[in-house]
Amino acid sequence: MVVAMLFVILFFICIRGIKVINWEFLTTMPKDGMTKGGILPAIIGTFTLMFGSMLFAFPIGVLSGIYTNEYLKESWFKSFLRSMTNNLAGIPSIVFGLFGMALFVNKLHFGDSIIAGSLTLGLLALPVIIRTTEEALKSVDMSLRTGSYALGATKLQTIRRVVLPVAFPNILTGLILSMGRVSGETAPILFTVAAYFLPKLPHSIFDQVMALPYHLYVLTTSGTDIEATRPIAYGTAFVLIMIVLIFNLMANWLRRYFSKKVKMN
Amino acid sequence: MKKLVYITLVMIVFGSAIQAQKTSFKIKGSDTCLPVILKESEEFMKKNPNTSIMVTGGGSGVGLGALITGTTEVAMASRKMKLDEKLKMQDAAKAFTEKIFANDALSVVVNPSNKIDRLTREQLEGIFTGKTKNWKELGGVDLTIVVYSRETSSGTYEFFKEHVLNNKNFASSVLSMPATGAIIQSVGQTKGAIGYVGLAYIEKSVKALKVSFDKGKTYVEPTVENAKNKSYPITRPLYIYYLKSIEKTVNPFLSYILSAEGQKLVLEVGYVPLK
Amino acid sequence: MNKSQRKKIEKIVEGVLFSSSTVTSITVIFIIIFLFNEGIGLFRSKPIEVGYFMAVNKDNPVKQLSPSDIDLIFNQDITNWSKLGGKNDSIILFTYNNITSYISEDSLGANQEYLPAQMNKFISSTSGVIAFFPESFKPKNLIATVLPIKNVKISEFLMGKNWYPTNQPAAQLGILPLILGTLWVSFGAILIALPLGLATAIYLAEVADKRLRNILKPLIELLAGIPSVVYGFFGLVVIVPLVQKTFGLAVGETALVGSIILGIMALPTIITITEDAILTTPQSQKEASLALGASRWQTMVRVIIPYSKSGIAAAIILGIGRAVGETMAVLMVTGNASVIPHSFLQPVRTIPATIAAELGEAPVGGLHFKALFALGIVLFIITFGINLAVEIIKSRTRRA
Repeated sequence: MVVAMLFVILFFICIRGIKVINWEFLTTMPKDGMTKGGILPAIIGTFTLMFGSMLFAFPIGVLSGIYTNEYLKESWFKSFLRSMTNNLAGIPSIVFGLFGMALFVNKLHFGDSIIAGSLTLGLLALPVIIRTTEEALKSVDMSLRTGSYALGATKLQTIRRVVLPVAFPNILTGLILSMGRVSGETAPILFTVAAYFLPKLPHSIFDQVMALPYHLYVLTTSGTDIEATRPIAYGTAFVLIMIVLIFNLMANWLRRYFSKKVKMN
Repeated sequence: MKKLVYITLVMIVFGSAIQAQKTSFKIKGSDTCLPVILKESEEFMKKNPNTSIMVTGGGSGVGLGALITGTTEVAMASRKMKLDEKLKMQDAAKAFTEKIFANDALSVVVNPSNKIDRLTREQLEGIFTGKTKNWKELGGVDLTIVVYSRETSSGTYEFFKEHVLNNKNFASSVLSMPATGAIIQSVGQTKGAIGYVGLAYIEKSVKALKVSFDKGKTYVEPTVENAKNKSYPITRPLYIYYLKSIEKTVNPFLSYILSAEGQKLVLEVGYVPLK
Repeated sequence: MNKSQRKKIEKIVEGVLFSSSTVTSITVIFIIIFLFNEGIGLFRSKPIEVGYFMAVNKDNPVKQLSPSDIDLIFNQDITNWSKLGGKNDSIILFTYNNITSYISEDSLGANQEYLPAQMNKFISSTSGVIAFFPESFKPKNLIATVLPIKNVKISEFLMGKNWYPTNQPAAQLGILPLILGTLWVSFGAILIALPLGLATAIYLAEVADKRLRNILKPLIELLAGIPSVVYGFFGLVVIVPLVQKTFGLAVGETALVGSIILGIMALPTIITITEDAILTTPQSQKEASLALGASRWQTMVRVIIPYSKSGIAAAIILGIGRAVGETMAVLMVTGNASVIPHSFLQPVRTIPATIAAELGEAPVGGLHFKALFALGIVLFIITFGINLAVEIIKSRTRRA
């Protein structure tokens, strides 16, 4: 039943979306008040934000995961950090948008820009990365660590040479999953980076960009000619779903591929 | 080591941001003005390849706010700058100039299946303030009136309230839509619907009403012609605000908009030229 | 590399690790600070526009008005002072916009230099007048009672029934309809999602074989991955017309559509958590139940569900949490009418949708802007409470 629902949604959008997809749609700028042309700037914008946010969230998330799992003993501090991470994960995305606007856009004077949007999205993705890193580290067998210590390695060496390589595939899965999540978010970028329409591609990290989810929102609710933009809306929804789908499948495949490999060893 | 690479990466990205620039400026603000200014800037940049103009929407409030904080040099707005905002500009010691570059006519739209094709201002007030609830009261069929409006903060909403509702409140039961397109969409698929949109947005899926502001003596159709000769009553100006400090940079663009050629583009997009 | 150097490096690395682990906590604290910084300002501002003053005739016994009274007056719902405890005298609205209907344009002077004097004359000679003008036109020797305007009260904000944040001269900032709208839609979503989610989770955990599970689980996760705008888009073009036709409604954008969409979106959360809870039911208990002659169904209802009760509770709360904060999908399908909801077949307006739709047009730092941040605080507190509840339930289960 649930799966049927999923398929109804997917099929509905795919069947209508796939008709408008062609090379030109993916690689040209919107034209004539967005009733014609492609969605290139939105695709590029989404990928920019995806990588921008990861540039910030991935290192911090992984480091933070390592610290809580490898260095901290069970204590009030650890459970405090945990619950803070959980709290951050539970904050609605629109509140992230408000926060991003207040801090990055207004207080730090970044304006609506890639950097403000990336940082906001990065904060949103942080809990996911921290959690998956912790899970990944936990699943590393304790015997590997004790073995490494027995050979005289320091804690840092053990983490770098033994623990991380084993946990890496799972951490990577977390990264990919959060990239998928970030690519679909609209509310946080609404007031921090998203542009309604830009005639040019961004040049610097202080430029605004268009993004697929916001573009879809704009296409369905604004625009001077709803009938003419409808096919483009379907196409945009299709591309967006495909990106999310590919990232999800990739994560899944990675997880399986590595778990098989580990077993074989 | 990893950290170092990271830092250099950030530096490179930052560095590329502070490159030398040609004459360029940003325009930001009202989504109503956006299609016109976008078109104008495209054509202008074709003729002046040395100028680069970045146009983004977000809303009148966003644009004027950005003008105050300094994140944009030019703001477009579908409403006049508020006193509050003027005081903030004074506090920030920023002098600015206000220019009207085009007009926009708001038309009242209903579902095409609706037989009613004309309403007076008083009737509109009754509908939008919630006193008139059924089309039957206006000589139509027995059908509940579903009122669609724009968000409270939009310039369009304020203009409509001021000029059509005599500054009375919209009924709280009106459905507010985040953008004009959504109003067209909803009015198109809801039989008893009524809403208001800019002239440029009118299409086949909705029907524009003739309105009368003289208690039913004359009804005027919302067309560019009628708006231009001022016989259509619900017409509003669209504004551009820019900092005095960059007057020289902006002036060529402004005079292009106000030129005959620029005003022709205004008409093409569906708005009302000044002359 | 000698030992002491190595030790130093280890210490530095530990420091870096420590500082990055505090980022989440710092962010949470920052979010709180910034939301409150902007939002609390609301209760330090007056509900009339900055730079304006409001005055009545000197002899008018009414010396104070609440924001809602002001709104009723200027909306011409109250037209006589007697309703506000004053004399039986009809109210005359006197503002910059209608000044010429009382005072001829010529007498104001070419640059309105005589406006303050003329205004003073009119206010002092008209007993029923209420004037609303920019401070810059305020005469130096004004003969009138300038109404003291009180700051926005928290109780007015939370319990007020009208949300007209841009009203002139007095903004109406009551968020009760928004809070109720949000909760209404969220509970509706859980009502729809819970039976479905529970059934799916039980099926996955107890009935489905391993191969089928391996196919279904990633698919359900995928359901969680679809962006909310896509759900909103789907809801707008498919479910809205559908609901409108099935129920024969005048309008299709209703709380019900919002609940359906949010229900679908909350499903994966509910399924995953409930399934985990069910899987932790000890095998021994299940077997004991079966051995006592209970059917599979009985075992499920009498043993498994009671055992995983707290897990299911956590799922419900978390699901509500997701639904409360969801923005884009709701914005696109619920119609956004700020009325206190009475039925599911009515348009409603939620807190996140309000923020998303209005923040763009609100003047930065103004009253409306602050009100939207205050709404953000309310939303934050609701979700924070929900998270806390989940944590408590979880820690209780762990102990048990």
